[in-house]
Amino acid sequence: MIGVAIVLVVLATLLIGARGVAAMRSTSDFLVASRRISPTLNAAAVSGEYLSAASFLGVAGLVVKDGVGALWYPVGFTAGYIAMLALVAAPMRRTGALTVPDFAEARLGSPGLRKLSAVVVLVIATLYLVPQFKAAGLVLTVVSGTPYWVGVVVAGVAVSITLALGGMRAATYVQAFQFGLKLLLFVVPALWLVLTVGADTRREALSPVEFTRFERTTPVEFRLDTRLTITEPTPVSLSGAPVELLGQGSYAAVAGSTWTFAEGADVPDVAGAVPPGGEDWSRPLLDPAGGHPLLATWSVLVATVLGTMGLPHIIVRFHTSADGRGARRTAAITVAMLSGFYLFPAVYGLLGAVLLPELYLAGGTDTVVVALPARVDGGWVGEVFTAMLGAGAFAAFLATSLGLLLALSGAISHDLLPGTTLRRLRSTTLGAAACVVVLALPAVNLDVGVLVTSAFAVAASTFCPLLVLGIWWPRLTARGAVVGVVVGLVSSAGSVAIDLLLGLSPGLASILLGQPALWSVPLAFLTMVVVSLRGRPPAWATAAMLRLHLDESGPGRDR
Amino acid sequence: MTPRQRRVAVVSPQTRLAMVRRRTGIRVDVPHLAPTDVERARGVYRAQLRRALAALAVLAVLIVGLPVVLALFPGLDGVRFAGVPVSWLAVAVLPYAVLVPLAWWQLRRAERVERPSGRAVRGDRHPTAAVRTGRP
Repeated sequence: MIGVAIVLVVLATLLIGARGVAAMRSTSDFLVASRRISPTLNAAAVSGEYLSAASFLGVAGLVVKDGVGALWYPVGFTAGYIAMLALVAAPMRRTGALTVPDFAEARLGSPGLRKLSAVVVLVIATLYLVPQFKAAGLVLTVVSGTPYWVGVVVAGVAVSITLALGGMRAATYVQAFQFGLKLLLFVVPALWLVLTVGADTRREALSPVEFTRFERTTPVEFRLDTRLTITEPTPVSLSGAPVELLGQGSYAAVAGSTWTFAEGADVPDVAGAVPPGGEDWSRPLLDPAGGHPLLATWSVLVATVLGTMGLPHIIVRFHTSADGRGARRTAAITVAMLSGFYLFPAVYGLLGAVLLPELYLAGGTDTVVVALPARVDGGWVGEVFTAMLGAGAFAAFLATSLGLLLALSGAISHDLLPGTTLRRLRSTTLGAAACVVVLALPAVNLDVGVLVTSAFAVAASTFCPLLVLGIWWPRLTARGAVVGVVVGLVSSAGSVAIDLLLGLSPGLASILLGQPALWSVPLAFLTMVVVSLRGRPPAWATAAMLRLHLDESGPGRDR
Repeated sequence: MTPRQRRVAVVSPQTRLAMVRRRTGIRVDVPHLAPTDVERARGVYRAQLRRALAALAVLAVLIVGLPVVLALFPGLDGVRFAGVPVSWLAVAVLPYAVLVPLAWWQLRRAERVERPSGRAVRGDRHPTAAVRTGRP
């Protein structure tokens, strides 16, 4: 059934793309189509492109894994549009630049900065794409029982087919439709779950108790090699073998093995993980057990709020507004639309912590949204809702991945390689999709929400200072911008890479390396300002900045 | 559509710009502003900057301050509103109830800087004065 639902999503996407193209008859229709798109429709398109698998699956998964504090992620994802609205939306639209590399050249006149910005686009898009493919592979794995790598490859093939058939033509209509679809497929199952689970489960979800004993015979399918500590003799059946009593000690669960714990058995401890429902888990701050909850919460918020304005697939969307005012309205309406959507991940997270707490042992918390309906209703109703959520998650994956792949291949073929042809643009896109599939294969043990946040951290440390200072500070020089972007890129992407390689246990070092925005963003701003002050901006710099703030309704504008 | 119409390759503006630039190897335009526009633009720029900073200040109070409140008063976990811990509502619902009005507020103020000046400037020799009267 889920396969049918996913095929329906892809077909609907293609159909709307085709209809949108048919509605435009001539070249000029195509080029000025943007002028007729209302801010509301455009905001739906922005939200459609923005709500990725990280929002659809990742946030609820992080709530099960890390606790209620994970609900700060969507707050940051939404608040980013306030920063966009106040600082970037209208002036950016007035530059006529579609991408940050375009902006860099339009405002500062530096081809070198353009190339550098294109490299940053590559880094951000890759960090953002890998978790999308991971999530898609995981969803397919959960619902069809195939190995993870098959799921990832199938997701890559689905994206490539959609691209080849032109599914992203008339992209505004497609993305606006995707937003409506995702909202429907997320909200309706959530309401059904809340009504179906019964009063007892609802009460448990709001007054959680620590997950210490299995309440029923529970099979746990380990997705990663996991180190378990068993503190009292525990009856377990290993991969279908007869039940045996495991004594005290440390055990290694191999990835792919299934341990079936008997009813009433003690839950083993997992190093570095907080069992759902405990006191630490219930605190509404991130990383409550690590000892620095405020620092952890702030660094995620700084990254997401300031990173939103630098996401390559979102900035392109604002160009579809008629003018600066339209772009600003789009950003404001987007805040309202996202706020509606982000009220619901909490429902899945809290119910998941009560009904499927064992996912935290298995390293499979990202699947909690899709796994919940079957846990609540074993019959066809549960199957229907599983299919709905699977299709929604796949729609989320598809919308964001297509937008990112186009931004990525645009950066490669427009900014990095000489001599653009349309055919090459298409082949670059397919090549990029293949690379991401390869990168997603070893990423199975990374949290979707966390990896996406590191993409935000890189965007916040590079493009945020470039855009904010470029738009609001006339003294910014090309040299200052280049040095600042390099410092921001190296410090943010470098420390995320070090954190991934070292795999530090929770603590101060892990927060500062894994979520570097709190120090790397000020560092990038400072570098840009100091280097700029030591040079002189060109004579036209003030005019280049001021004209970004002049509204279109005034006279004397040359377009 | 007439049968003699030539086929035209439709590309994104980005592609078009990139192709033009590659062929000619020069900047498409050097930014310039008419002297009267410079004055008006300065007025709009200052007004918009003030408004943007005010909105960001409210946002900063929310995302810096709310975690501090939750960290300082763990007792909020025990207080319940309609069965839900108040501290959970403070993360799951409250921020959105602040963000949506904040977006609306900032949008209205930013547009107010532009709208009257755009209309008035056509007959007005002193654009900055128009910006000033444009405020409530």
